Amino acid sequence: MKINSAVKLGTVALFSAVFLAACGSSSSSSEADKQTLNWMESSALPSMDASTATDVVSGETMNNTGEGLLRFGKNSKTLPGVAKSYSKSKDGKTYTFNLRKSKWSNGKPVTAKDFVYAWQRTVNPKTASQYAYMYAQVKNANAIIAKKKPVSSLGIKAEGNYKVVVTLTQATSYFPALVASPMFFPQSQSVVEKYGKKYATTAQDNVYNGPFKLTYWTGTSDNWTMSKNASYWNAKNVKLKKINVKTIKDPQTALSQYQSGKLDATYLSGQQPKNYKHSKQYVERKSASTFYIEMNEKKDTMMKNKKARQALSLAIDRKQFVNKVLQDGSTAADGLVSTGLATKNGKDFNDDAAVPSATTQDLTKAKKLWKEALKETGRSNYSLTLLADDTPAGKNSAEFVQSQWAKLGNIKVTNSNLPFKTRLSRSQNGQFDAVISAWGADFPDPISFLSLFTSGNSYNNGKWSSSAYDKYVKAASGKDANNADARWNDMVNAQKTILNDQGIIPVYQQGKAQLVKSDVKGLIYFPTGANWDFSKAYISK
Amino acid sequence: MAKYLAKRIFYLILTLFIVITVTFFLMKLLPGTPLTNQAKLSKSQIALIYEQYGLNKPVWQQYLLYLAGAVKGDFGTSFQFSDQPVSYLISSRIGPSLQIGLQAMVVGVVIGIIVGAFGAMKQNTWVDSTTTVVSILGISIPSFVLAVLLQYYLGLKAGWFPIAEWGGFIYTVLPTLALGAQPLAESARFVRTEMVDVLSSDYIELAKAKGLSKTGVIFHHALRNSLIPLITIVGPLAVNIMTGSMVVENIFSIPGIGEQFVKSVLTNDYPTIMGLTIVYSFMLCVVLLFTDILYGIVDPRIRITGKAN
Amino acid sequence: MADTVKLPEDSFKPISADDRAALDSEKIAAPSLTFAQDAWRRLKKNKGAWASLIVLAIVFLMAFGSIFVSPHDPNATNPSYANLPSKIPGININGFNGTLVQAGQRIDAYKQAGASNVHYIMGTDYLGRDLFSRVLYGTRVSLIIALVATLFDLTIGVAYGMFSGWKGGRIDTFMQRVIEIILSIPNLVVIVLLILILKPGMLSIIIAIALTSWTNMARLVRAQTLELKEQEFILAARTLGERPMKIAFKHLLPNLSSVIIINTMFTIPNAIFFEATLSYIGIGISSPQASLGTLLNDGQKNFQFLPYQMWWPAVVLSIIMLAFNLLGDGLRDAFDPRTKE
Repeated sequence: MKINSAVKLGTVALFSAVFLAACGSSSSSSEADKQTLNWMESSALPSMDASTATDVVSGETMNNTGEGLLRFGKNSKTLPGVAKSYSKSKDGKTYTFNLRKSKWSNGKPVTAKDFVYAWQRTVNPKTASQYAYMYAQVKNANAIIAKKKPVSSLGIKAEGNYKVVVTLTQATSYFPALVASPMFFPQSQSVVEKYGKKYATTAQDNVYNGPFKLTYWTGTSDNWTMSKNASYWNAKNVKLKKINVKTIKDPQTALSQYQSGKLDATYLSGQQPKNYKHSKQYVERKSASTFYIEMNEKKDTMMKNKKARQALSLAIDRKQFVNKVLQDGSTAADGLVSTGLATKNGKDFNDDAAVPSATTQDLTKAKKLWKEALKETGRSNYSLTLLADDTPAGKNSAEFVQSQWAKLGNIKVTNSNLPFKTRLSRSQNGQFDAVISAWGADFPDPISFLSLFTSGNSYNNGKWSSSAYDKYVKAASGKDANNADARWNDMVNAQKTILNDQGIIPVYQQGKAQLVKSDVKGLIYFPTGANWDFSKAYISK
Repeated sequence: MAKYLAKRIFYLILTLFIVITVTFFLMKLLPGTPLTNQAKLSKSQIALIYEQYGLNKPVWQQYLLYLAGAVKGDFGTSFQFSDQPVSYLISSRIGPSLQIGLQAMVVGVVIGIIVGAFGAMKQNTWVDSTTTVVSILGISIPSFVLAVLLQYYLGLKAGWFPIAEWGGFIYTVLPTLALGAQPLAESARFVRTEMVDVLSSDYIELAKAKGLSKTGVIFHHALRNSLIPLITIVGPLAVNIMTGSMVVENIFSIPGIGEQFVKSVLTNDYPTIMGLTIVYSFMLCVVLLFTDILYGIVDPRIRITGKAN
Repeated sequence: MADTVKLPEDSFKPISADDRAALDSEKIAAPSLTFAQDAWRRLKKNKGAWASLIVLAIVFLMAFGSIFVSPHDPNATNPSYANLPSKIPGININGFNGTLVQAGQRIDAYKQAGASNVHYIMGTDYLGRDLFSRVLYGTRVSLIIALVATLFDLTIGVAYGMFSGWKGGRIDTFMQRVIEIILSIPNLVVIVLLILILKPGMLSIIIAIALTSWTNMARLVRAQTLELKEQEFILAARTLGERPMKIAFKHLLPNLSSVIIINTMFTIPNAIFFEATLSYIGIGISSPQASLGTLLNDGQKNFQFLPYQMWWPAVVLSIIMLAFNLLGDGLRDAFDPRTKE
């Protein structure tokens, strides 16, 4: 096993030289070659149909090959996209988007009609889109999905070729973030109808209006290529010529490919992050998903007792869990809302809304609270079943939480790891004592998380209820929807309320560890949905 | 012969019918839906999507529809690749799997024959012991361990071969070696045993007595007669390769059906699992049929008749 | 009978004990050996097989002995001692002295973790669990899976084969067709489907392997039964009105034993192999339980940084496979009277 590092370096260099020489002979211009990004995904690209795609890889690809009225920039900020500007009515219910003159990759203009067509197609019950519910804020969308109103009644109208007017059911401050997501992208009616069932099943059966166009993808291939789209309105600012994406499922293989220079970036998993923690190329990306424990307050008095819930939260050493057990770039949860999701004046939501005393381990206090809770509810000990998914991460979490809770004394925790579907129906039917649940934000706004725990919400499995919390959430999506500062404060207060009352126990925020070559610059990452924007990326060599 | 063929093809169809039926009803027993984000959908939306996949019909209707589709090569639509028919998914991915599988089989068996024959010729010498050890080691090391070792040492460290992915012939070298080790070992063992038997038989003694050269004896008589029974193990070897390919394709990122099968299993993509099961069974049936026919042709002692047995 | 030959009275006389001793040609010089004794004697002459038997005995002893005496608890985690390489006191060869290469430099991982006074023979895994204990534990699980699956497979295969061969005729033809159909479905596919339905776990793996691997045994047993049932001793038993069940157990089974034992020796490693492959795919034994397959799979992921985590289980697995295969070969030769000595 002893390998002289100089020799090792030599071999790698030699290998790279041979490899580069081999490459050089086949390609002509080295300048063009330089602006090629070699990217990897751990699963294949399953669909490019904005109306039906459900997975992250599709979202990411569409985000780079298409463009909505607006597009996401750094920190999930919305920037002008196909719409060069927009205005909002005073009541916040009507948005008017002024479109710029831009083109599809087939040379046809992108018009307001393409948006109307795409939106109607997605909510059309015939399309059976799994993400149609994202349109809930748009007028009549829910009725159309339920087949109660015709598709044409959707609250989007084209006024001429370059103006889109959207009517909402209620003021929605995060609506700009919604229209920047791929499921709100335009679709060309003539192209969809031309290809029919084959639409968007290969690179050729589709048109693109984004910074890149898909130039190679057979629909089932493990590799696909995005090339710079010359028809894109902002093409002069797109520096990358080509993005080669490869599906590599085995993490060890992916890392080897990265080391041998065949990839410019790779995700790390298992023990790999640990070995690269100190590397300059190591980056941790936070996803907008939080794992939290819900406690069934309807089942018995113990879980209704605030001290008991607090004790359970304070017993968990989240740092040890993410750093020693998961070690995959996940971080200890600061609150219900994931960190990095939303910012105001450069400050993260959790900078304002975290409640450290509810999410930091304090075993002595936890023990004390637990004792008091037992006394108050008249018990000598308490046994509970902890429900969780039967995935490796689910089992890891359950085992860890179990061992942490055991330290409280006078507690017996039984783990029950079930398949996702079963776990879900059990938690929805209230057949649990405590359950480890997870939620991923659909759009970059704290309300995506906060709306879950209002009284009577179907995702509020533990039936925790607080009138103050309900009031804050209602204000944020109603009366304060047009007042950014007031709305921010409402949401901060909502999270503080649920954490102070320990309505849930946040455990960790999912993360991804990644290695990125140091000459790759300008990558834009956002924690929801589409994840990546390559339009500003370039290779600095 | 024609009668025999007809009979064998009838059994092939019967086998496939049973495979389709059994897998179909097994799949119905499994939990899971085409919905990737079931947690966020309302009941009416779920019903809508079920309709799309024809999952709202009674099971027997679904079965008949599936059967009718399967006859035409239509295995439904993949859950994972939501717009792709399973038949297209399979047909666009079967090429690399077939190529690597065949290469592994050919390379494995040819080298296996050479190694086995050497072992038999130099019976009870160090050559023999070495070949025996090599062949048993080949059986003893799981193909995924071998794949990892090859990838690391020959791919990353030495840089002789690409680490992964699919391109020209050079990309197939490491996966072929990883997959071919088992057929190599099995056939080497098999050929050695057979050849030791043949070498001690009377007609070889006679040939030697007649003054035939040693190479003449080996090539004209011994090797030829030892190879015939080798055909019988081609079927089992094909099964080994199919099993191995699921793992090896994953490690070398080969866009084949083995990798797809694993992915489908992990994502509950039932239409794809079913389609691939049928395709795997079909391929194995064809291999078995060919080896049986071939065996009948090369070995005059075995006559294929219409009668059973 | 007119002229009878008259012989003198003393023409014949009884043989005396001394004479008997002198008659060498009649004497059986070697002790009389039963078939089993003979096979055992041949086996002992085969160095490879004999060594394998000893190796397997040691492996079994250690794997099952570790239920009672294990160097560490295989599931006890100790995150601060995570990923320590092998350290065997007194051996100062890289790879066994607790050092490993980190960022291009060889460092003493034990010193770094503040664990200079402890040593783990095979190192520790990512949770600081003792890999040696895990390997013993994993070997045990793998062996249990293989043995139980083989036992099932034996029962089904032998019963099916004997019944098919014994009955003959249409029943036999039908049963052979069934086997042919089963054989033309790739067994890993079947195993995967069964496990999906039964939920991953030890029991479902055992059932799935057993249900798919009995065909080979059934075929061999049937062929042997067909041969045996034509032989005189079976015919005699039948003529005497012995019940078929009794014939099967008393007469057939002992004569089938060599075929069964040999085939078992090849079925066990196959089952171990299947379990390892399933673990790699991700539907094998689930943690914190371990098998050689899951250990290999875990190790494979870190092969670049912590090669020992794959090497140890790989070596143990290969030794077990090697031993079973060599022993199987040895037994085949030992049971075959034609084997040259």
